[in-house]
Amino acid sequence: MAEYQTIYLTLSAILFTIGCGGVITRKNAIVVFLCIEIMLGAVNLAFITFSQANQSPEGIFMVMCVMAVAAAEAAVGLAIFVLLYRKTGFINIDKFNLLKW
Amino acid sequence: MEQALILICGIIAIVTAVMVILSRNTVHSAMWMVGNCFIIAVLFLLLHFQFIAILQVIVYAGAIMMFIIYAIMLLNLRRADDSADPLKNLFNGRYLLVGLLFIGIVILGVGFGPMALKGSMTDQAMMKLGEVELLANYIFADGLLPFELVSVLLTAAIVGAVYLAKKN
Repeated sequence: MAEYQTIYLTLSAILFTIGCGGVITRKNAIVVFLCIEIMLGAVNLAFITFSQANQSPEGIFMVMCVMAVAAAEAAVGLAIFVLLYRKTGFINIDKFNLLKW
Repeated sequence: MEQALILICGIIAIVTAVMVILSRNTVHSAMWMVGNCFIIAVLFLLLHFQFIAILQVIVYAGAIMMFIIYAIMLLNLRRADDSADPLKNLFNGRYLLVGLLFIGIVILGVGFGPMALKGSMTDQAMMKLGEVELLANYIFADGLLPFELVSVLLTAAIVGAVYLAKKN
C-alpha cells in the first residue's frame, strides 16, 4: 500500500492546483465556492494518505474536522450569497466592493 | 491491477474537477462536483478507509451539494453568470506556470520522504477491531476537546446562517 502514496499525493496536489485556478479565474461566486470544495477534497485525500502511511488515526480525525468545517462554511456562505442576491440581484464577485475602503 | 484502478480514478477525478471550472452553466458545475465527490470516496475505499468513504458520500455528495443546488435554484443565475471565458483566463501563461511550480514543490516536498510506521492503526488492529472502533478510541480519549469545539462551530454556523437568511 505504501508504494502508491506518491500517486495519491501527486493527485492531491493536482486537484488542489485545479481548485486554486478555478478560484482565481471564475467570477461566479457559487463556482468559486465549488472550487474551494475541490481544494478541501484534495486536502482530505492527502490527510487520508498520510494516515494510511503512518498507521495513525489523527489524519482521519482531521478529515472529520475538515468535513464539519466545510458544512459550516456551506451554510454560512450560501446564506451570505442569498442575502447579497436579494440586495443587488447578482453574485458576480468582481462587482462587490462593500468591504473596500 | 490496483495501480491501474488508482490511476483511472485519478484521471476521472482530474477530469471532473476541470469540468467544474469549465462549465458555463452553474448547475452543470454542481453536477460535475457531485461526480468529483464520488470519485474521491472511491479513492478513500482504495485506501481501505470504508467509514470515511461513506462519510464523504453522505456529507459532501449528500448534504453540501444539496445545499448548493438549492441555492442555485433559488438564485436564478442564468442572467448573472457573465464571467469571461475561463479557459482563456486559465491558460494565459502566468497561472499555468504558477500551477506547475506549485505541483512540483508539493511533489518534491512530500512525495519522496520515507514514512515512519507508528500509531495504533496497524493491520492487525484494523482486522481485529475495525476502523470505526479505533477512530472512536482516538476521538473520545485524545481528541475530545477538538471534537467538542467542532460541535460548537456547527451550532454557531447554524445560528449565523438562520440569522443572515432571515428577512429583516
